[in-house]
Amino acid sequence: MFKAFAKGLSITFKHMLPGHSTTVQYPSVKLKPSDRFRGLHRLVPSQDREKCVACYLCPTVCPAKCITVEAAENDKGEKYPKVYTIDLLRCIFCGYCVEACPVEAIEMTGAYELANYEREDFQFTKQRLLK
Amino acid sequence: MVNLTIDGKQVTVSKTATIYEAAKEVGISIPVLCYAKKLMPYGACRFCLVQVEQMKGRLIPACTTPVSEGMVVTTISDEIKKVRKTVMEFLLVNHVLDCPVCDKGGECDLQDLAYELESTSNRFEGEKFDLPTDEVNPLIERNMNRCVLCGRCARVCDEVVGYGSYSFINRGFETKIATAYDRGLSCEFCGQCVSMCPVGAILPRPFKFKARPWQLKEVDSVCGYCGNGCTLTLGVLNNKVETIRFNDKIGVNDGNLCVRGRFGYSYVNHDERLTKPLLRKDGELVEAEWDEALQVVADGLANAQKGQGAGILSGARLTNEELFVLKQFAKTLGTQNLDHSGGECYKGVTEGLKETIGISASTGTFPQIEKANVILAIRSDFYETHPVVGMVVNQAIRRNEAKLLVLADKRGKLSKLPGAKTLLTKPGLELDILNAMARVLLDEGLAQTEGVDGIADLQAALANFSPAQVAERTGVSAEQLQAAARQLAGAKNSAILMAYGLPYQGLNKELATAAANLALLAGIPGREGSGLYLCGEKANSQGAIDLGILPQGNGMGAQAMFTAAAAGQLDALYVVGEDPLSSYPDRDRIAKALDKVPFLVVQDLFLSPTAQQADVVLPATSFAEKDGTFTNAERRIQRVRRGISSPGQARADGAILTALAGKLGSSLAFTGPAAIFAEIGKAVPAYATCSFNEIGPQGVVWGGESLQPASRKVVAVAGGSEVEGDFRLVTGSALYHSGTVSTKAKGPMAVLAEPYVELSREDAKALKVADGDLLKVAGNGVELKLKAKVGNRLPKGVLFAPYHFAEAQVNRLYKGEAVIAVKVSK
Ligand code: SF4
Ligand code: SF4
Ligand code: SF4
Ligand code: SF4
Ligand code: SF4
Ligand code: FES
Repeated sequence: MFKAFAKGLSITFKHMLPGHSTTVQYPSVKLKPSDRFRGLHRLVPSQDREKCVACYLCPTVCPAKCITVEAAENDKGEKYPKVYTIDLLRCIFCGYCVEACPVEAIEMTGAYELANYEREDFQFTKQRLLK
Repeated sequence: MVNLTIDGKQVTVSKTATIYEAAKEVGISIPVLCYAKKLMPYGACRFCLVQVEQMKGRLIPACTTPVSEGMVVTTISDEIKKVRKTVMEFLLVNHVLDCPVCDKGGECDLQDLAYELESTSNRFEGEKFDLPTDEVNPLIERNMNRCVLCGRCARVCDEVVGYGSYSFINRGFETKIATAYDRGLSCEFCGQCVSMCPVGAILPRPFKFKARPWQLKEVDSVCGYCGNGCTLTLGVLNNKVETIRFNDKIGVNDGNLCVRGRFGYSYVNHDERLTKPLLRKDGELVEAEWDEALQVVADGLANAQKGQGAGILSGARLTNEELFVLKQFAKTLGTQNLDHSGGECYKGVTEGLKETIGISASTGTFPQIEKANVILAIRSDFYETHPVVGMVVNQAIRRNEAKLLVLADKRGKLSKLPGAKTLLTKPGLELDILNAMARVLLDEGLAQTEGVDGIADLQAALANFSPAQVAERTGVSAEQLQAAARQLAGAKNSAILMAYGLPYQGLNKELATAAANLALLAGIPGREGSGLYLCGEKANSQGAIDLGILPQGNGMGAQAMFTAAAAGQLDALYVVGEDPLSSYPDRDRIAKALDKVPFLVVQDLFLSPTAQQADVVLPATSFAEKDGTFTNAERRIQRVRRGISSPGQARADGAILTALAGKLGSSLAFTGPAAIFAEIGKAVPAYATCSFNEIGPQGVVWGGESLQPASRKVVAVAGGSEVEGDFRLVTGSALYHSGTVSTKAKGPMAVLAEPYVELSREDAKALKVADGDLLKVAGNGVELKLKAKVGNRLPKGVLFAPYHFAEAQVNRLYKGEAVIAVKVSK
């Protein structure tokens, strides 16, 4: 019985030793999320424009209906998103948009520090998403 | 009837059905790509392959194979699926698959089939098509890289439209659909090929990249342009009509439209739409509040009534319900001066037909035209005014071998249809030909005279209309004339078509009477399958006649009102949904009347030239913003539905009229279209056949498919008189426009933006003018400068000018006559 106690407590005390804590001293220390983490979106750029072709699949699939796309024709006659905005306040970070995109134009980054003061600041326009 | 078994189900269908249709009957769907309901079976794609017990050893295309007794059909099996999948693989070898940027994505038959067949990979490899897109015209874009060679575009353009833009060229992998000399599309832009293409190879350019099909709200309504009454399904996104959707499920038009219906929708969302009432203050029109504006109108009209009286003039694009309220409003105001559409152009119906067959409407319905054996179209312009009925004529010819006779002063689309015989007369003499045809029937004993009154008088009056005499006057040979008359009388079913409208005012009553005479003698009115059709130019021309928007009692008609106004004998004019200054004959007289009339109110969508003269302008709504009914030229009452909300403070005509009536102390209430429709039924018995909510997807034809004439009386009409001079001008409608509103719509304007005067090559040569040169056209004391358009349609010495463009002022030259003698110089 004592043996069992000692074994159990040894685990407890081991965690008290320096270097064994799981607590991270945020914000002075920041964790790097896993590659599969679903944080802030990013629109992938190509040579001279965004890769997105304004196919409307992501706004269609989005369960929170927080993506606004408005397609237009550019000088070269290509379809491009004149407007591409994500309302992050409504986004539930499900990643369906990424899954739906036929041209891999949208991805989710590890950025998770998304707090802000103004509602408008949660409107991620094309310019912000391309950064 | 034939019995067969499909997937174990017993089916009994007519012996002309195909396996595909039989399967559909019992709810079994066979995948198809090149099949289309309204086209002849073709068999290009091989998706519809099925197994037939009696034809072992190969698969049979269901869409082209007729059923036979005792057939045992299997529509799905592993083998069939494998073959269909292979067909898909073949198709996708060179298909570009740019679905993300293809506007068809989401309603593409190829996408749907690939999904259904679970085609995820391709065993074959090949080069993808890399053809340039065809964007030479402003309305239709062709991207042949997406074409699946189903031939639907080529077939619809030929079988239905009768234009024949496309055909297959090259062979093997190089096969493609091309226009003449592969120069790119230039046609009448009806857009039938756009709606038929199962993939994204032919798309409407104005809608390019605008939206995905699933985002659009679809609203079934009726086209607001002409009396054809085609079903229009509005594709609405964010309160804007973005496109017109293909819909062959409801209405009479089988999904067919003309350029105006398909591409002429943009005026409803035009920036220049009136959004607030305007009041004239210190000589300027300034924005005002509704209440103030209505009060001014109510006071102004009431004052006028105390003086020399007020007149009300309406357009024929208001709904039946609004017209009814308008009539009630006239009563409230106490005026009998009420009229619509210029007061003259519809007299062929209200007087011509009334005096002969005792009714004021067409006797048949459009679907019957397709079954007719002989069709007589009076004026080739019939295609220009009512293109979709024109397509029905084409189908009658191609499917049922109908014979088409065109009686006209110029050639047109109808004259070009297969086997069409054109009786090309000097302008203004169509009447003589109709008279002569009637005489041939009488002389040769072909006429049905039993029960027809006035035969003896007619016979006497036709003394000078022997074929030989008429041939000499008109230039149509006596033999041709006789043959036409005999054909018409000998046919099992025949149809006589004529359009009426503002530019066809001259002799319209006489022509309608002569046509009715001929129809009576040929036994057409009231005969099942035959019909006499007088088709109004505007969406609700027939409704305006049915509801009696005509001078009441001793009241003045439109012409009398203008005359009175010009002479200072009318104190107010209330113009609803019309632009008389731009579209009525004799502009100078109208201008004088509008100038003289002390109080002018205009209710319209735009600040039209007439509205610019007004004391008060009230902003009204377009057809896309209201609920109600229109009655088309075959008496079909159809539902108009609201698709978008009105811009700014614009209000529906019915609502404005009720508010005005309220100001005048009436209890008239616009309680919604259903209640008013019921009221109409009480006043107009023909409309009592059904309630508003019972008007189904095919509408309701008042009076039934074949309206029986109330009387059968032939009335003699004198012939036309030849107009002297080297050149004779006729006005009319151009295919791309209807009335004046279409000049506010981008689609029609993209194809035809400018007024013109059309002349023959011969005349052009003699005058040394080329396309686009300015021509001076002088007549009736007026000289106009118009751009010349040289073409093959017109005979020597005849000019044609469309009347749609306000700035051209063709209506200064045209004072309502059938033909105008003009002088032409460079
Ligand atoms: S799914 Fe991709 S290509 Fe389509 S709109 Fe969204 S980001 Fe753009
Ligand atoms: S035609 Fe259909 S399959 Fe082809 S690119 Fe367009 S949507 Fe995709
Ligand atoms: S728009 Fe009409 S006329 Fe032109 S090619 Fe297509 S179907 Fe033929
Ligand atoms: S353009 Fe369209 S309708 Fe014409 S053949 Fe190709 S796929 Fe068929
Ligand atoms: S303008 Fe006439 S023919 Fe053309 S779509 Fe409209 S109702 Fe049909
Ligand atoms: S649908 Fe039968 S062959 Fe195309």
